[in-house]
Amino acid sequence: MTDITTVDPLITETADRLLSQTCDHESIQRAEAEGGAPEIWDAFAETGFPWISISEEAGGSGGSLLDALEVLRLVGYHAAPIPAAENGVLAGWLLGASKQEIPSGIATVVPSPGSQVTGILSGDEVVVTGVAERVPWARAAEKIVVLLEIDSTNFVASIDQDLCEVKPMTNMAGEPRDTVSFNDVKVAACPAEPGVSPESFRFRGALSRSALMAGAIEKMSQLTVTYTNDRIQFGRPVAKFQAVQQHLVWGAQDAALARMAAETAAREANRGDALFEIAAAKLISNQAAARATKACHQAHGAMGMTQEYPLHHLSRRLWSWRKEYGGDAEWSRWLGEVAVAQGADALYPLITGGSSTLR
Amino acid sequence: MVENILHRRSLDASASQNALIGRVLREYIVPDLYPFAIGLGMVGPALLAHGTVEQQEEWLRPIASGTAVWCQMFSEPEAGSDLANVALSARQDGEEWLIEGQKTWTSRAMWADWAICLARTDPNQPKHKGLTMFAIPMEASGVEVRPLMQMNRDAHFSEVFISNARISDKWRIGEIGEGWRVAMTVLAHERAGGGSRGGGDGSARGSQLPSWIADIQTLNDLSSIQREDISAVYSHDTVSRWTSQRAADEARVSGAPGPAGSGAKLRTVRSYKGRARLSNLSAGAHGMLESGHGYIEVMTAPSMSIRGGTDEIQRNILGERVLGLPGEPRLDREAPWNESRKGLL
Ligand SMILES: Cc1cc2nc3c(=O)[nH]c(=O)nc-3n(C[C@H](O)[C@H](O)[C@H](O)COP(=O)(O)OP(=O)(O)OC[C@H]3O[C@@H](n4cnc5c(N)ncnc54)[C@H](O)[C@@H]3O)c2cc1C
Repeated sequence: MTDITTVDPLITETADRLLSQTCDHESIQRAEAEGGAPEIWDAFAETGFPWISISEEAGGSGGSLLDALEVLRLVGYHAAPIPAAENGVLAGWLLGASKQEIPSGIATVVPSPGSQVTGILSGDEVVVTGVAERVPWARAAEKIVVLLEIDSTNFVASIDQDLCEVKPMTNMAGEPRDTVSFNDVKVAACPAEPGVSPESFRFRGALSRSALMAGAIEKMSQLTVTYTNDRIQFGRPVAKFQAVQQHLVWGAQDAALARMAAETAAREANRGDALFEIAAAKLISNQAAARATKACHQAHGAMGMTQEYPLHHLSRRLWSWRKEYGGDAEWSRWLGEVAVAQGADALYPLITGGSSTLR
Repeated sequence: MVENILHRRSLDASASQNALIGRVLREYIVPDLYPFAIGLGMVGPALLAHGTVEQQEEWLRPIASGTAVWCQMFSEPEAGSDLANVALSARQDGEEWLIEGQKTWTSRAMWADWAICLARTDPNQPKHKGLTMFAIPMEASGVEVRPLMQMNRDAHFSEVFISNARISDKWRIGEIGEGWRVAMTVLAHERAGGGSRGGGDGSARGSQLPSWIADIQTLNDLSSIQREDISAVYSHDTVSRWTSQRAADEARVSGAPGPAGSGAKLRTVRSYKGRARLSNLSAGAHGMLESGHGYIEVMTAPSMSIRGGTDEIQRNILGERVLGLPGEPRLDREAPWNESRKGLL
């Protein structure tokens, strides 16, 4: 836990430059058709970006969680077709927290184990069984990491991908979300540090998605402003019609809102647990994504519906990410339950003070 | 409208019998008439209103029987909402017309036999005046169809490039220079929904749960919030169907669909979006997968408020023609098209 509250500007600059050079319309389309973009990942990995926030002793690149989330925001902004969130902030975190080696290849995570994937202890090994759905980029991973709760202790299983059966599936954006079967796979039993639990993992997943979504909404809003200023109908740019301007304002508001919420949650999470801020950020990003995709598509007319124009790289990612690590109902319910449990007098302090009032 | 065509050219059914057939059809889940929708719902009625007897004899029966598929070549790269800005040119050459230009977003173009095509025949006239409507056989030489992939991974619309195609004058629909009037008839029928509706989703029978709700029910136990959401969409759907029915009845009496069709289009779009949202939301994270509920519908939904005239354009029509609000400034209305297209504003 650190008190760093700013991102190293060099990280923003380098990541932005690298991703804008590698993630153009053609490379993103190709990644979707081919189920991955190894060349983009290699360029990204060469800089050490996938391992930011994992300490150097643990085999990572160092840097804070705040830095890692800033990179994720840019990954979302450029619709980069790579497992950036999975590798560092999620799998890397679990591996670091269980003193396991960080692989040089891609590490991904099983998003919601529990009922789907279970483990039993056998000596100093865990036997992992079950079928996990929607595992990001499992087909390209070296390790598939699973957080397992066994007899009230949390273990992190780091499983060689070639010991698993991987069935390729994709989400709306054409990103790999594979089905992975574990048939009694044996791996070393590595207990996780205190603070690592299915609950904290789910919050961390939500945090990663909020950062990605904030970036994607921002880019979508910018694309829409540019397009509607260039597109002429009835002798003038369609951006001159007030009905279109309303769409543009929705897009811009939602971009600002999602980014503010994601950054607040990132800053708090960098300091300690940030349950309230993360829950709020994921809910806000989900709702902002729904409104902004609607507004930006409407302002684009038919052009936005084609694969040839890049809007869909962002909108389809947002529709998918909106569903990962908690939809609107889940986070609304969580926030509602917390607020009710604190009581009426604690509501305002909760809203203004956030998670610090819950500790 | 399918009923009208049947009435005029083959089966001898009365208008009220036709209405009855429509109502019964909607009680059942019957195949989608999508491939035939332009012919049945839009071209057929436009031929009845503007076509010659010979054209009606030639085209209506194949439309009604489904042997001829039609597509609608209106939109162009520079003519979307501003449809009157069409640039595709048709030049008369004796008994023929020479067609040159590009259309875009043409749904069904890859498998259509015929296109109803809006063309500019006189660029020196103001933009609404120099237009003429044609029927173009899709296999005519010089017509090239290039499918475009949509974000929902469907390739149902295309760019159509036409260079030096020769079209017989007997395929001109309506008078020279009257293309805008014919286009308005086509669009009014498109908005009103015409024959595009096949059957319903079974809901009109009352005793049967609409299939989209039954589907959601299989996904999870419905929370009270979901029930409320579903009820809201269901009520909107039902009222919308009644209102569209009333508009259709009015259209039958007056002989032509009016601006009420714009209201019908807005409501139908809202219903589609509501159903897509609810079934996809109910599927949770699974809904983002290829096999997920509402997966295709979520990626199709944004196009619903764009195709057939955007929501904004429908509201402009309602504002100006139903509410009588002042129109938008249209400085290019009277200027010759070949000048106004360079931009007057
Ligand atoms: C799936 C699909 C299928 C289609 N199939 C066909 C087909 O078969 N045949 C065919 O001819 N066309 C077809 N179209 C094209 C469709 O008719 C046009 O997309 C539509 O008319 C809008 O034009 P546009 O896409 O150029 O948007 P634009 O006109 O560029 O509009 C962009 C934005 O500006 C807004 N805007 C424009 N003018 C105004 C105004 N005056 N006031 C307020 N807002 C305004 C629009 O509402 C929209 O939000 C299809 C489109 C789609 C998406």
